[in-house]
Amino acid sequence: MVIPPRDPQLLKGALSLLLLHLLAERESYGYQVVQRLRETGLPDILEGTVYPALSRLEREGRVTARLVSSTSGPARKYYRPTPAGYEALATGAAQWFALADVVGAVLTRPVPPAPIEGS
Amino acid sequence: MSHPVSWFDRLRIESVVWSLDHRLYDLSPRSRIAKRREVRENLLTASADIGTSEALRNLGGSRRLAAEYRAAEFDGEVRANWFTAFIFFMTGQLLIQSLLTERVLAFNEGLMAANPDATGTFTSSRFSFIQDAATFTLDHGQGVWTGGRMTVWAWVVFAVATILVGRLWRAVPGWRRLTSAKVI
Repeated sequence: MVIPPRDPQLLKGALSLLLLHLLAERESYGYQVVQRLRETGLPDILEGTVYPALSRLEREGRVTARLVSSTSGPARKYYRPTPAGYEALATGAAQWFALADVVGAVLTRPVPPAPIEGS
Repeated sequence: MSHPVSWFDRLRIESVVWSLDHRLYDLSPRSRIAKRREVRENLLTASADIGTSEALRNLGGSRRLAAEYRAAEFDGEVRANWFTAFIFFMTGQLLIQSLLTERVLAFNEGLMAANPDATGTFTSSRFSFIQDAATFTLDHGQGVWTGGRMTVWAWVVFAVATILVGRLWRAVPGWRRLTSAKVI
């Protein structure tokens, strides 16, 4: 079965959770986070989606950033979750699993075949 | 695979970075500098990793990136757009003042065509509510003119149009309190 391209709106709600989780696993800089998301199974995610999401998390106080000098160029901005970020991750993950259970239960029910037009 | 980042690649990256910065005009200078640095650094890393063309393509364009940053910064709040208001005001003034000046000059040329040696005071008609009458005081075809400016009403309409185009009423703190109270 060919899976059509992902609806960006589906990812939008979960992106913050994914970012918080990845950063909780390992402190990373922007491009590194994008690479890790692609390795996770989101090959078509745009950097232009991830960087503003990181910026939002930082503004909300859920991640903190520090500059680390790089040998290959300018200093890199590394992100890691704050205590509020860990709390948001725990709450968000619980809500996500609860929602996924409900949606999954409905979507896995068998549906009758679509009616043929004109019949 | 490592890709060498040439000076041309750096120029392309700088072009995108500054295009982004230009679109983030209403963020604080500190926030803009931080975003410029971060995007530049990430693009340089991505360019060395996958090539500049691919890195820029993956960024998704400065317009979209700026829209995402603004949404992240302002929580999707519709804000006053001073830049649009400024562009509208300046462009509008340029066009209107050119038109009004041309009209006065055309009246003067008409006078000179009718009588190159004209002497006396000549007054052009008003241009609806847009332009005051212009008065020429000539002595043997030489002289000065006064008036011909935009009327007060035209200024009022123009100011209102500028406020509407830039949604400048949203810059008023009282308006924000009112709209946020409605949302709650």
